[in-house]
Amino acid sequence: MSTEQIEVQVTNEHGLHARPAALFVQTAARFQSDIRLRNLSKAGSRPVNARSIMEVLTAGIDQGSRIELTAEGDDASDALHALRELIEGRLSSPSS
Amino acid sequence: MAVGIVVVSHSARLADGVKELAGQMAGAEVKIAATGGGPDDTLGTNAVQIEAAINRVYGDDGVLILVDLGSAVLSAEVAVESLPPERQEHVLISNAPLVEGAVVATVEASIGASLLNVEAAAVRAGSMPKVER
Repeated sequence: MSTEQIEVQVTNEHGLHARPAALFVQTAARFQSDIRLRNLSKAGSRPVNARSIMEVLTAGIDQGSRIELTAEGDDASDALHALRELIEGRLSSPSS
Repeated sequence: MAVGIVVVSHSARLADGVKELAGQMAGAEVKIAATGGGPDDTLGTNAVQIEAAINRVYGDDGVLILVDLGSAVLSAEVAVESLPPERQEHVLISNAPLVEGAVVATVEASIGASLLNVEAAAVRAGSMPKVER
């Protein structure tokens, strides 16, 4: 068991809403680890469950938001790597 | 498998549109069926067509039915009652709003959530603010 934490900036135009939010939740759900997401750009925001589409949507993550991702579990490192890659790679490219 | 989704609207075009939108949120693993409209392009819902839609997407994880208004609920209830008893207990009519509910339910279904959890997420979609005031 390990706990790891990273910070990522969301750069894609629509933030984590609609389809990008769905892709984020689907990616988080591929891992066993408990994954929490916190919107650092919104004062007082609490960590939410990264596997819940409703919690991710209501976290209000817009373009430019910085988010903190915390994963706890055997595959924590792999999970955070995949989520960073999604946010900085696939989601930020114009085709998505 | 994943929970199957049935979209019921009085308008066939609305049902198809909601299916299209929700389908954009998930991969092919979530089966979505749209049904609605009466004969000759009129508005209406039909229990026999809803029952057929349920059977098209039915799987071990069950089916959530999203409805638009009024008699769509009655038609959906009749459709569920027409199913074999062993299927009835795995089919739920949602209390969620049609569009938000279908989108959220499809995403939750795509990550393997149970029927009750898919419904709970869809219902919560109804209270999600669209504009901050």
